Formats: sequence, structure tokens, C-alpha cells
Amino acid sequence: MSPTLLISGPPGCGKTSWILNRIRNHRGPCGFLRLVGYPDEGLLQARDGGIDLAWLQDQCPGLLDLADPDQALAPRPANLLALIELPQFQPPADSGLAGLDRRAIPQLEALHLSPDEHLHFGRDDLLPRQDTLDFNSLQALERNLAGSVWDPASLSSFWFELVNGAYGDVYRAKALMNLPDGRAFFCNWMVSREGSQFLPLQTTASPDGRPQRLSRLVVQGKDLDPAAIEVTLADCLLSDALLELEQARLRQQEAPSHPSPAA
Amino acid sequence: MAHAVISCLHANLAALEAVLADIDQQGIDTITCLGDLVGYGPQPNEVVNLVRERQIPTCQGCWDEDIIEGLNACDCSYPSQLAERRGQLAHQWTADQLSEENRAFLASLPMSLWRDRQLFVHGSPNSQHEYLLPDMDAFAALERVESAGAETLFCGHTHRPYVRELRDGSIRVRVRQTPGEPAGVAEAEDRELRLPLRRIINAGSVGEPRHGNTHATYVIHHEDTNAVEIREVPYDVERTCRAIVDAGLPPIFAWRLRHGFEYAERADDASHVCER
Repeated sequence: MSPTLLISGPPGCGKTSWILNRIRNHRGPCGFLRLVGYPDEGLLQARDGGIDLAWLQDQCPGLLDLADPDQALAPRPANLLALIELPQFQPPADSGLAGLDRRAIPQLEALHLSPDEHLHFGRDDLLPRQDTLDFNSLQALERNLAGSVWDPASLSSFWFELVNGAYGDVYRAKALMNLPDGRAFFCNWMVSREGSQFLPLQTTASPDGRPQRLSRLVVQGKDLDPAAIEVTLADCLLSDALLELEQARLRQQEAPSHPSPAA
Repeated sequence: MAHAVISCLHANLAALEAVLADIDQQGIDTITCLGDLVGYGPQPNEVVNLVRERQIPTCQGCWDEDIIEGLNACDCSYPSQLAERRGQLAHQWTADQLSEENRAFLASLPMSLWRDRQLFVHGSPNSQHEYLLPDMDAFAALERVESAGAETLFCGHTHRPYVRELRDGSIRVRVRQTPGEPAGVAEAEDRELRLPLRRIINAGSVGEPRHGNTHATYVIHHEDTNAVEIREVPYDVERTCRAIVDAGLPPIFAWRLRHGFEYAERADDASHVCER
């Protein structure tokens, strides 16, 4: 029987990337759950709002959402690999399952989940250490971008400014962003890494109106300036008229240049 | 004799004062300015006043033209919606601030200035909006200098200073015989024109550097030796950043200037010439 693993660690340490690799290497069904993390003194957790799940389900079609109440009550496949992510700033006091943050147990019990193993970034050698940082204080900023579509060049400028400190000292930023051609990107940045990841989602929408998929920005850092971010967002996101203009051009490019012969 | 060329001041008074002090310190009293006195920066009137007080011969830049013509550049001058919105905001703010006297001064500026075979323009001889980048196709670069009839072309607009020598240039043309010409003449004839050395000298930017750090740049042309010196001048960037915020301009302009990034990125297609 495959285990239920609980993976914890501070922001940006690579929890989701490690889980993605683990899912890809597992021959059999997998499930994922992201628990709500708990703030510590001066350290605010960011509300992921489903970014990690949406990204993993895009990369691994068929991935079960363990937070789905129907999934919680349904009999689980015998070889299900259940992976649970818990944002956690401080290293656990004890090793193994004994170190699990007691505050998370009610969330797990409500979903009938009982971890067989607990791994924490920075504590357990099974996990990589390079991006595991100690944080003293951390603010969080979330922005729901559902239905928003970016001018692509503006997204590039905004992300450059964001991760280079124009809106405060950003330690961690991740987002799912929509482009007018129907593609979406998982944007991922961590202060300890050089450069950002812009990973395209496999599922694309047709260039026809605003996509319905989840779109969200999550930022963690210090002295964040949400008002300045809002001003820039307003200048980057496409209006209905501009979106239609761009998508009409794309649809025209996609249309066959010559009428196909009648059947 | 040495001659200083400055460009792209962008309403940055601290940078202009530092550059003029550097020029004065070297005993140079011939200065030419390649335009863009205003735009993005917080002190448009102060900068124009100083250029007028010093009686610096100046040609008109794209921002100088836009501010008097009413945003003449087409959308494609901006590489993104964000850059366009910020550019329009800066344009409106500058237009509101600029005195009538200074507006008239900008309107009076010529598109180009000549000294012997030296031509001074903001962008290119074709347009204030055209970028002559250092890696531009050599034939096109040579064409810009040669068709204007210049030996040396001084330009700005890119905000990155450089000296480009165009050696061993030649233009090959095929001449077709027109009907009615005497018989026996070949229908088409190849002709090759050998061109002497031509130079493009870009003065960089005083007020909005884009060369990798925050220092203001300009060039000195030593006319006796024909040598060109690219000067980098540190200035009180924080003074300008404070003025940006105090003036009510977007604080992001201060952040970008402080980090050596241009206010708005240059156009994707740098060779594009606005035709509006």
C-alpha cells in the first residue's frame, strides 16, 4: 500500500516541485491536499487559493483533490499515493510524525487523512535544502485575478519589477496568469533562486473571451505596497475591448487562409 | 578643440547640472544638445530654463515634439500597455507643467543641426522616433549617414552611448537603361560606390541612463584628433527621485531611475519609424 506523506516547509522551499516529481514517479493514482498553514509571530501565511492544486492537476491529469468532500468519503484506491503539503515556517521540535504541528490535525481528521510519514524541508535529508530559508518576519499579499487577462509584455515588466523590489522586499511570488491567446502560465520566483520560472499550463483555452480557470497572485515579503501593485495591475490587464481586438487577430491567424473544398 | 554633445535630459535637473559642471571643469565651452529636454522627469521647466540660459544649440527630440504636437507618437512606440499608460501619464503631467514660454521654445527647435560635415539629430536623420542601435544592420546605418550627406552623425534617443565606425563601405547599384537611350548600350550596368569612413556617435542620456548604471552619460568630441570620449558622470539620483515623488509622478519612476532602468522600455521593433 502506498503511503500518505505530509510535506512541510517554509515558503518557496520547493514543496510543490518535490511533490510534482513524486507524483510523476509514482505508478498509480495520486491525491493532493494543501493544508492551511498557521502564522507564527511576525510571519503571515499566504492564502494559496488553489494555485498549487491547479498547477499539479494541469501537469498530472487525474490527480485527486483530497480536499474534495466526495473524495474524503469515497473508498480510496489501494495504491493511492496521498501527498499533503503544509506551509510551516519553523522546524518541528520533534522528528517524524511526532513533529507534526498539532494545529493541523483537525484539518486532516475532517478529511479522514492520517499521514504515515512527515518530512520537513531543512530537517529531513530526504528533501533538498538549497531553498530553505529562515524567516524573521513576513507579510503576505494575495490577489484574485479570476477572469483577468494580461497584456503579455506588461506581465513581463510587472513581474520584473515585482521580484526586483519595486513593490517591497519580495521573498516569494507565485501566480497563475492568463494570456490573450488562451495560454496560462505558472509564474514562480524565490529570493534564493536566480531567475523566475514561467511554466506553461498544458490546458489551454480558446482565444475567445475571458478564461474561467483559476488565476491568482500570491506574494510574501516585507514592506509590501499593495496600492502600488494595484495601480500597476490596472495598467497591465486587458479591457474587454482590447482583449477582443487581440483575440480577433489571433482567431483570424488560426482560420484557414483558403476555404476548404466542399465535402 | 573639444566639443561636448548631450542628449535625452528628460527633465532631470540634478543630472543636467552635474553634466554641465563636468563639461565646465574641462574648459569646454561648445555644447550641442540632441533633444528630449522633457518627459518622465520631475523638472521640465527647470531643465528647459537651464538649456536656454546656457544658450546651448539644441535640436528637437521625440518628447519635445510630442509635448507640443499632442502625443504624436503612434502606439507602437511603446512595447507594452503598461509602458504606454505610464508614458501617457508622464506626457499629461509634463504638458500641464510646462510654461507657455518653454513650450514655444521647444516648438522652435530645429530637427537637426549641422557643423561642417557633422550632423546632429535626436533619433536619426529620418525621424526623431527612429532608434539607431549599435548593432543595427551596417548597410542601414551607413545609409542613414550617407544619404544625409554627413561624415559624422551624432544622435541620442537610445540612451546608450556608443561610437560606431563604418569602414570599407560600398554601395552597389544596378542601373537600367531607360527606353529611348542610344542603341548598343547595355540594358543594365552594375556600379559600385566606395564610401569613406563614416561614424555614428551616440551621446547616451543625461537624465535617463540605460547603459547599466545610474550615471549620466554624454560624449566629448576632440575635433583636432577626431577622438571621442564617452563620459559617465555620477549625480545625486536621490534628489531627482525625491522630486519625482514630491511632484506626484508615479513612485515607480523613482524606483526605476534609482536602479538604472529606463522609465519605459524601448520599442520592440527599434527600427520602427513612426509615420503619424
